[in-house]
Amino acid sequence: MTATTAPEAALGVLPRADGSARYSHAGYTVTASVNGPIEAQRRDEHPYEAHVDVIVRPAAGVGGTRERHLESLLQSSLSQLILVKNFPRCLIQIVLQIEDSPENDYANTKLVQASLNFGIMPALFQTSVLALLSAAVPMRATATATAVAIVLQDGTRKKVIDPSPREIEAAKSVHVLAFTSRDELLLAESEGDFTVREWDEVCEIAERVCCRSTVTKEGIEMMLDDEVADGPDTRHFLRSAVEDKVAADLHWK
Amino acid sequence: MTTTTGRPFVLPGETVDPSLVPTHKKHPLRLGPGLRHIPPSDIIPTVAGQLVTNPVKNSIWVEYNSQRYIPQPGDLVIAQIVRSTQDAYLASLSPYTASATLPQLSFEGATKKTRPMLSPGSLVYARVSLANKHMDPELECVSSATGKSDGLGPLTATAGTGTGTVFDVSLGFARRLLMARSREEGRVAVLEMLGGEEGGGLAFETAVGRNGKVWVGSESVKTVIIVGRALQETDRGGLGIEEQRRLVKRLIREMR
Amino acid sequence: MPREAEPSLSEKQFVLQALQENLRLDGREFDQYRPLELTFGDQYGVADVTLGKTRVLAKASAEVTVPYADRPLDGIFTIATELSPMTAPSFEVNRPTETEVLLSRLLEKTIRRSGALDTESLCLVAGQKCWSVRVDVHVLSHGGNLIDAACLAVVASLRHFRKPDTSIEGGVLTVYTPAEREPVPLSWLHSPFCVTWSFFGEEGEIAVLDATWLEEQVRVASCTISLNRHGEICQIAKLGGTPVEAVALLQCTSVALTKAKEFSALVDRKLAEDLKRRDKGGLMAELKAENDR
Repeated sequence: MTATTAPEAALGVLPRADGSARYSHAGYTVTASVNGPIEAQRRDEHPYEAHVDVIVRPAAGVGGTRERHLESLLQSSLSQLILVKNFPRCLIQIVLQIEDSPENDYANTKLVQASLNFGIMPALFQTSVLALLSAAVPMRATATATAVAIVLQDGTRKKVIDPSPREIEAAKSVHVLAFTSRDELLLAESEGDFTVREWDEVCEIAERVCCRSTVTKEGIEMMLDDEVADGPDTRHFLRSAVEDKVAADLHWK
Repeated sequence: MTTTTGRPFVLPGETVDPSLVPTHKKHPLRLGPGLRHIPPSDIIPTVAGQLVTNPVKNSIWVEYNSQRYIPQPGDLVIAQIVRSTQDAYLASLSPYTASATLPQLSFEGATKKTRPMLSPGSLVYARVSLANKHMDPELECVSSATGKSDGLGPLTATAGTGTGTVFDVSLGFARRLLMARSREEGRVAVLEMLGGEEGGGLAFETAVGRNGKVWVGSESVKTVIIVGRALQETDRGGLGIEEQRRLVKRLIREMR
Repeated sequence: MPREAEPSLSEKQFVLQALQENLRLDGREFDQYRPLELTFGDQYGVADVTLGKTRVLAKASAEVTVPYADRPLDGIFTIATELSPMTAPSFEVNRPTETEVLLSRLLEKTIRRSGALDTESLCLVAGQKCWSVRVDVHVLSHGGNLIDAACLAVVASLRHFRKPDTSIEGGVLTVYTPAEREPVPLSWLHSPFCVTWSFFGEEGEIAVLDATWLEEQVRVASCTISLNRHGEICQIAKLGGTPVEAVALLQCTSVALTKAKEFSALVDRKLAEDLKRRDKGGLMAELKAENDR
């Protein structure tokens, strides 16, 4: 069963960073710090744009190829969101510290866990966006992300939003999609065995989860589940989390 | 979605409702920080904050608080000298950013023979004379029009006997302190209270830098610490006027 | 190259002047720590320590592996400290700075070498299988005094951690998953804590506890004393700096003992609270299972 616990976020948690955020949802907890725009190293300097540097640090163990993959996905999508042309030769540095991942009670913990990438991608993505908003880095738009897995259950292919590690392991395919606040598809990564039609359906579900601005009962006639209505309203959550922080900052006005 | 205060909360990328944008017969619309213009007529916020309009001046901007200073021409800042080259000083406005240039002749009464001697690590109160995204910023310690310093220049302890130091505050708080009517518009009155009856009439001087730095100088170390702590705690705690008064009284009592 | 942010001359001079008048910038006493908070995560072995603006997160984990060839009866215990740009933008990944190396060495000597964790208890099958316990220290924010905060976090996380239960029958090792059997705590012998003193003045005559980042930039010497609440000293490190009077150092050590006792009481209290919190959930869960039948 997917853990439909409500997501939680706190902004400005690190006192010395320009911006920071702590986000937890479905068992994942990530803290992000954003510093920038600051001076870039010579080797990273770009004459017309800011360089976006993403560093992902796992909870246990040293980072490896898995973290580099996550970093490159995040870097390419966040560079589209940030107005990099405003800060040539500068660096926007985003560091993500994974604090908690959901435990698989049915397997012994190993330091190297395969295929955990996709489960944590949405949490990493959301935390980065929240931290960037907290640092007031100029952005083109905000974005929300979600993970969907296609699991074989009772002979039918069931689509699961925010799959648990167990569901990911048993899934036929796992997909991570991110949409901007203008309903544009920003990131689409998939792994496993799936058809084009399945991907289209997954994309529709993800769009409904990420782009829904009010809770309406539109998608009920689909063969899918009430889990769509139960899934977190990510956009609304993002908005209210930031709105609270801004209201606290501007209490004096 | 408007808040109770009537200032709508905006996120980057949202389109601004055209009815909120002020119009004026004579002045063109002025876009302040946090907004960008996409021709022909889209105004889009780039940061998360509250949308504020000033119908009198026909301006619109996004009000928000942040920690990283981005130089704008005309800002008064407190810069720290990093090193000196042949005819300019390199001064840092914020940590980990490129240094700004401060010409050695840009001080009141400075000529080629009589230059001010500033060692690395010393502080100056300067104005940003040039700032754009392609160049390193430039500072001046003298008004280019009149040639007078108007209070700009090296920040040292009062008259050589006193002491002073600089404290870090958030950019929004620095802006509030620099407002002409900081008590009414910025709702910050700590400095007045400290020098007034609540604080027991402390004697000190301050210089506020738009880059989030406040210099406090006084004869006694204790006074400087009290003022510095009052500023930082007001900033971090988001204190209102009444709470500021209580804070000042508590600090005076504690540091007795 | 990482660019260090240096404080201004005024700030450095002011800190020294204030100390000479018995004042600190945040109004603390010379032997007073900043407000110290310790919280545990939902998973076993996660400890979060906040000391003023410094925040350190320690996570303990364990896996079964082959013991070292020269020590077949001992398990493996490592402490990893890698500072990232989250600590401060001047830190780079994979490029150890002096701060990082010193932190790692001090934690090593304080916790590993003092035998706080009984490595013999980690052995499963002599020469073939043993537990490898690993503590990762993540510094989320550097506001001064990383060493004391990191040591507290590591000790708290190791005492909080539970490793999976095991059994050996006829030479076959079975490791039970958390769903099969409740995990068991580590074999912990004593809890060492670090207390770092910073010295100021021409002859290092002013001694101060728990320096902030600014105070650390101004200090002329520092001494880290690691000891447990019984007064047993694990190590004393004064690595260079201005010479300090021996008598003053002895006084510092006795104050350090008081602080170590306070830390020990804090960790005990927080662990007890956490146990109570989990127990409540545990009891409820047990009751629920019975009702379902």
